[in-house]
Formats: sequence, structure tokens, C-alpha cells
Amino acid sequence: MAQFYPLRVTDVKRDTRDSVVLTLAPPVGDEDAFKFIQGQYLTFRRSFDGEEMRRSYSICAGVNDGILRVGIKKVDGGWFSSWANDELEAGETIDAMPPMGNFHAALQPDAARNYLGFAGGSGITPMISLIRTVLDAEPKSTFALIYGNRSSNAIMFREELEDLKNVYMGRFNIVHVLESEADIELFSGRLTREKCEALFERWVDVKNADFAFICGPEPMMLGVSEALKAHGMDEKAIKFELFASAQPGRAKKRAASAGADAGAQTKATIILDGAARECDIDKGAQSVLEAALAADIDAPFACKAGVCSTCRAKIVEGEVDMEANYALEDYEVERGYILTCQSYPRTDKIVVDYDQ
Amino acid sequence: MSEQTDITDYLAEGGKLSAPDNAPPRYRAELMRIMASFVDSELAGAAGFADCINMGPGVKERIAASRIVLEKHDHAERVLDLMGEFGANTDRYMQVHPWTERVDRDEDIGATRPGGDMRLNVFWYPIESWTDAVVMNVLMGKATVIQLEELSRCSYQPLAEAFREILLRERRHMELGEEGFARLQDAGADNAALASSFDYWRPRVAASFGGRDSARFALLKKFGLRHRPNADLLTEWEAMVEAVVKSVSA
Repeated sequence: MAQFYPLRVTDVKRDTRDSVVLTLAPPVGDEDAFKFIQGQYLTFRRSFDGEEMRRSYSICAGVNDGILRVGIKKVDGGWFSSWANDELEAGETIDAMPPMGNFHAALQPDAARNYLGFAGGSGITPMISLIRTVLDAEPKSTFALIYGNRSSNAIMFREELEDLKNVYMGRFNIVHVLESEADIELFSGRLTREKCEALFERWVDVKNADFAFICGPEPMMLGVSEALKAHGMDEKAIKFELFASAQPGRAKKRAASAGADAGAQTKATIILDGAARECDIDKGAQSVLEAALAADIDAPFACKAGVCSTCRAKIVEGEVDMEANYALEDYEVERGYILTCQSYPRTDKIVVDYDQ
Repeated sequence: MSEQTDITDYLAEGGKLSAPDNAPPRYRAELMRIMASFVDSELAGAAGFADCINMGPGVKERIAASRIVLEKHDHAERVLDLMGEFGANTDRYMQVHPWTERVDRDEDIGATRPGGDMRLNVFWYPIESWTDAVVMNVLMGKATVIQLEELSRCSYQPLAEAFREILLRERRHMELGEEGFARLQDAGADNAALASSFDYWRPRVAASFGGRDSARFALLKKFGLRHRPNADLLTEWEAMVEAVVKSVSA
């Protein structure tokens, strides 16, 4: 059984506009449980409104750095990453399982090997661990990083990478590929198969590379690996790590975890502009607002995140669970007001009135 | 119910509301949508434009771009404060959406809003270069002025007043765009690059006016939140940009 340990957050450092780096300390006596191999990740858990959520983030430190760090980039609608970016502060604790993952090649201190790393956005986090570890533990090896980002200010670990370049001069190289801002065509755009082919012509030596590590969005990973294979790299030398944001960003819907409600439906009556219309709501899977919109009812909404209160309505009959409410006051909730974007029916029939 | 009908009649006849308490629920919801759309557009627009500051070729250009970014945030804050009076959580609002997020340059989203926020379609597209930023600003600047002139007449008085003040500065942003454009031309800018940016932004800004026959318009008109149909606003904008486009294609 996997066990969670309470890690103390000793530092929260803002890295880019939408990412933070957390430094973590295992409980005294449990330090060994958090010894890691380069490229591994930690799985965290936290409750959001009573719903447990688990998220995995790569460790971004070298195995001999004597420090445990993770980088967390804020994902659209991601509760955990938003919480880590906006609310989490040093001194708090956070539950994590011991390190897991197999995104590495066994170290050989005497070997002179050439590593290629391809990172897209926050896919840089496990690369940091690989780069720091390999360059330190294999003094004759080299590492070339091809790092794709939307723009220069989205580059995570930018300064740290520059520092590493200076420390390991001649052994560590970075090629930045930016979707905007880059002056030279070769270094602008996305890390696609075509972009890689172009880079492989002069800038990246695939023929003499021993390993390639790829971490980023799925299309990027596929494009890079195809280009590598086309240039003769053995499939076994190519290692993939699924990008963290590929995980669903939002909290699990209640019924999906409860199981019992799977496939169940709620009959809903939606009153809007003086007209009452019926629609079915997939219990637990659809919010009242989603179901109304799916039934072509022009219900009002704006933020869909429980913040703005545009989608406020009164529940006249039945009950709902509100997943988040950052806008309604207690007295409004007592009077039966709900945020329809956050409300999931609990009863088989509900009546919701936007006109009240 | 009768109370709401009375207020609706009052609004349809040109009456104004001045506080959240006397806004009927449906009116409140549509007003919130308008405000959220404005706030989100300003926040997303400013977030995207912030990246353009460093593209500015000279100090003047960078001051202009910085000022636009600063003032758009200020405009967002003013209207967000009004949303706060209706219960929106103003502390949390900024953190809910990734304002710098954009679609691919060649993606066409029409008039849709692909993300979770309410920004106008045009603020979903990435800006490529300084020239591109200037062209976008010229075209969207004019659109913003026309759209705000319309909304400055809206029946929720505090918002109408806020929009009137904002309009003065948005008009200045439009002028800054025009000045930047003139400087580009004086500096012998590549007409092909300008034309290509115009071709890119023109249909996208046009789409920001919404559909020609918007069903929602009837409701908004009844509430006194809107007065002129989308098609009229769009026609006015097209006339305004025609002259600029001619100067580029000449």
C-alpha cells in the first residue's frame, strides 16, 4: 500500500508568471523514503471541498543536490496547480507519496555518453533532475537540451539553466525554440517533427547520441520521437514522460467517484425568461449549467469557476451539491440560491429558476 | 413577478438602474455577462500586450505599450469592482483564468470563446511582432471605441459612467495605435507585412462584434443594456477601417 507522508513546504519560489517551485522537507526519520532517482516524480493529495485530488509533479533536483523540489505550472482550471500557485505558503505541509517513475538511464560514472533532452513547457521539470544528475555524476558525458516554449517569459528555470551552462561549459547546451519572439526561423515555432528534422541537420547531433528523453504535450512527444527514429535512433534509447498537464485539470465529478450514480439521470426543469423547459442531467457528470446549455437553453454564465456569480439561480425543488462557491453569501445559499456552473443534482428531479 | 415586469417596462422605456438591489435577476445576469466580457477582454488583452512591450522598437513605442497595459488593467479593475457589488469574488477573479493563454496563430475560432473566460474572440489570437501589435491595436482600438460608445448608454448607470471614463482613455489607446502605425509607415515599413497583418486581424476583429442577428440583442435592448444592433456597429467600424486599409494597399 502506498503511504502518504506529510512534507513540510520550506520554500515557495515564483519561477515564471504562472509557475512556482516548491522546496519540501520529509518528516524527520523518513528522509530515506524520499531518496529519489533522477527523473522521478512525487504524487500529492489534497482535499478540495471534501473531494480528494491527487496530482503528480516531477522532482526538479539532482540526486546529489540534497534537496527535494518540484515545479508546478498553473493549468487552466486546475485546482491543485492553482492552489499551489496562488495559496500555498512556506510552513504548510502537503501529503506526498515516496518518489516514483522510471524516466532515466542508469548512471555510469566512467562513461562518456551524449544525452538529448526534449522538453515542452513544464516538461522541463524532470529534465532539470536529469541534467543536474548526469552532468554531476558522469563527468565525461554531455547533455543537449531542446526546450520549446510559447514565449521567453514562459521559460521555466531559465536562470538556473543559464547557470548550469556556465558551470558545465562545453558539456551542456540549450536550444530554445519559441512560438513567438524568436528572430531566427529555425528557433521559432513548435517542437514538431519538421522542426526537429531542421534542427537535426546542423544543431543537434542525433547520430552520436546515446539517449533521448522527451517530456511535453503528447503531440510534441510523438513528433520528436518520429524525427529521432527517422534519424536512426533506436526506439529503446528514447524515453517518454507524460506531461503533467495531460492529467485532467478539474476535480473528479462526484458521481464518477461514487460509482452508484453512473448513468443515472436527473429530470430538470429550467425556468428562464418566463419559460419553463425540461432537460436531462447526467447525474454527477454534468453541472446544471452544462446540461442547460447542452439543451440549447441560453442560460447566463461567465467564469464557470464559481467566482463571478453570473450563473446564479434559485433552486425551487430538489437538491444539488455545489462543488465550489466563492461568490454567494451564506444568506443567499440559505435562501436557495446556487451557482449553476458548480451545481450537481443530488435528487432525481430539480427545478431551477433563473428568473428569481 | 409583477415587480420585475414593472422594472422591465421602466427599462424598456429608457429608465436607468443605479444599484444592484433593484436589478431583476435576469437583468443582473445579462449585466454581469457584459461586465465579465469586458473585464476578461481587458485582462486577456493586457496580458497579451504586456509581451509586446519588449518588441517596441523605441522608447516612445514602449511607453505607449506600457501605458496601454497599465490602463487596461485599471479599466478591468473598475468594472470588476462593480461586479463585486453584485457578489463576484474580486480577490479570486484574477486567478481563475490563464490570461496569457492563446490559440495557435492559424486557428480560426470565429466568434466563439474557446476557453473558460469571457474575453472576446480577438483576444485569443497571439500577436507575432511589433508591426502585428500595431495593426491589431489600430483595428481593435476602433472596435473598442465603437463598442464602448454603445455600452456607455447602458441602463445600469454605474457601469455607463465607468464606461464613459474608460472610453476617454480607450480612445487615446486607439490614437496611440494610429500614431504607432504612422511611425511604422514613416520608417518605411514593409507594406507586405502590414497588409498581411491587416488581412489577419480584420476578419477577427470584425467577428468580435458578434452575429448580425443576435437573439440576445432583443433581450438586451428590452433591458436597455444595448441600443444599436451588432450589424450597425460593425458597419460603422468597417467604414472607419476602410481608409486605413487603403493606405496600406496603395
